[in-house]
Amino acid sequence: MEISYLKIQNYRNFRERKFEFEPEGTLILGRNGIGKTNLLEAIAYLAFGKSFQNSKDAELINFSKAFFRLEGRFKLSEKDHFIEAAADKNKKIIKIDEINISRISELYQFLKVVYFSPADINIIGGAPSFRRSFIDQAISQYSFKYIADLRRYNRILKQRNALLKEKFDPKEKRSWDEQFAHLGAAIIQQRLDYMQEFIPVLVDYYARISGFRENLDIKYDFSFPHQGDDIRDDLFNHMEESVEQEIHYERSLCGPHLDDIELTINDHLARNFASQGQKRSLSIAARLVQANLISSQSNEPPILMFDDVLSDLDKERSKEIINLLQGTHQIFIATPNSETYKDFNLKKIDLEN
Amino acid sequence: MFSGYLGELVQQLKKLPGIGNKSAQRLAMHLISGDKNKALLLAESIQNAVENITNCSICNMLSESDPCEFCADTARHKNFLCVVENTQDIYLVENTHEYHGRYFVLGNLLSPLDGIGPDEINFPLLLDLIRKDGIEELILALNPSAEGESTINYIASQLEETSTNITRLSTGLPFGGDIEYTNSITLGNALKRRYSVNN
Repeated sequence: MEISYLKIQNYRNFRERKFEFEPEGTLILGRNGIGKTNLLEAIAYLAFGKSFQNSKDAELINFSKAFFRLEGRFKLSEKDHFIEAAADKNKKIIKIDEINISRISELYQFLKVVYFSPADINIIGGAPSFRRSFIDQAISQYSFKYIADLRRYNRILKQRNALLKEKFDPKEKRSWDEQFAHLGAAIIQQRLDYMQEFIPVLVDYYARISGFRENLDIKYDFSFPHQGDDIRDDLFNHMEESVEQEIHYERSLCGPHLDDIELTINDHLARNFASQGQKRSLSIAARLVQANLISSQSNEPPILMFDDVLSDLDKERSKEIINLLQGTHQIFIATPNSETYKDFNLKKIDLEN
Repeated sequence: MFSGYLGELVQQLKKLPGIGNKSAQRLAMHLISGDKNKALLLAESIQNAVENITNCSICNMLSESDPCEFCADTARHKNFLCVVENTQDIYLVENTHEYHGRYFVLGNLLSPLDGIGPDEINFPLLLDLIRKDGIEELILALNPSAEGESTINYIASQLEETSTNITRLSTGLPFGGDIEYTNSITLGNALKRRYSVNN
């Protein structure tokens, strides 16, 4: 999958600009603050239907304007497609080949972008919520069912938390617990299935990037006791047992919304003990695996975007990453220093001109 | 912008569902200009409806008579009870011409976020009805939303001990639907609840 053309209107610091891109990708150059990340964000907007920095649509509109508009031409399984997105302060419209879409998730199934953000380091070093959003987003990129299950689970979680704040009839609580456990287990199972494919590839990539000096281990960390095969029953039973604490804290204390993924490098917890460079390379490896699994699922390599994430790695590590990538995807790299990326041999766009 | 009687009218209209400021002003202007009799007729119908429609004391549906036409109808199957969220839903089920039993209107679905618990879904009244009339089958015709699902679970668990057979609406392919255009969740449900061709 690749983008060949993009037109930006009133988006962030851009007034009106048109870009043509090569199938191999582009090196986006320019000083700090010129809009390199904004250009990446504009392309990714057409894949996610929103800002990857989680900015509100109204914040994306150029200061002096009332709306923004993006147009992109993409090639997907040898066919050209045209995507438009526009928003003013109240409303947004997204069209695929001139037809309005009703749900943003329709875009996810269509266009796939993996964005390597400077903030990705949090996937390794940050709070558990960063790892949960990583895996949720990764699975959502190819499963409608997962998106629907998550949405429903979050609704039930909200209702259940509201119930725990009040006096309730135990049977009323059970009417929510049953759904909660059922959906919670379904979500966890889908995460485990994803991880089963994800882990071996990540271990392999990371070994290569680290020059086979470091050993990676990953496991799913349940927020409730789980030994057997029945996740649903374990979750349900734990909810029954911890009702006192849940009433005391007035919220749900177990379930996929509190699970974590534990990563260890040479038996030390990466979150606490990995160096900046290790966290950086591991987070890049994780995004690469995400991209790799999308490719094998849909036979369509996603577009990769690097927001200057290689610059704090040593030469060997960045070289290995470049080797892993070469020639497989359309790649966009935003950086003020073209030197770091000279091995990529990409056409340059300098935003200063 | 509007004051006095007109302002008051606009304020009242704005409280109706789906009516914003602009629509309220347009409706108010429409009511007071032109044929004033029409507006007075409307006022009279509102008054009549509000004064004369109450909840049926057996099934809780909004009705002019108590008991309502369905509860009073002796030709209906006494032992089948269809539970719906709102009075409107009764007419949706009636239009199928597939059901000839009685109804019960919950009025709400369980929703702790909105402060709606078992008392607000009129469960005690439902329980009374089931105990008194010996219901054979209770059909829960509720939305398959999180709230509907919880309400179904709750009612089912409360009636665990009784001999009442509890059923719910099936989910799956729409009649005349095309599997090519069915989303994967609906199709998945239809597949899970597939049935034998010989039935």
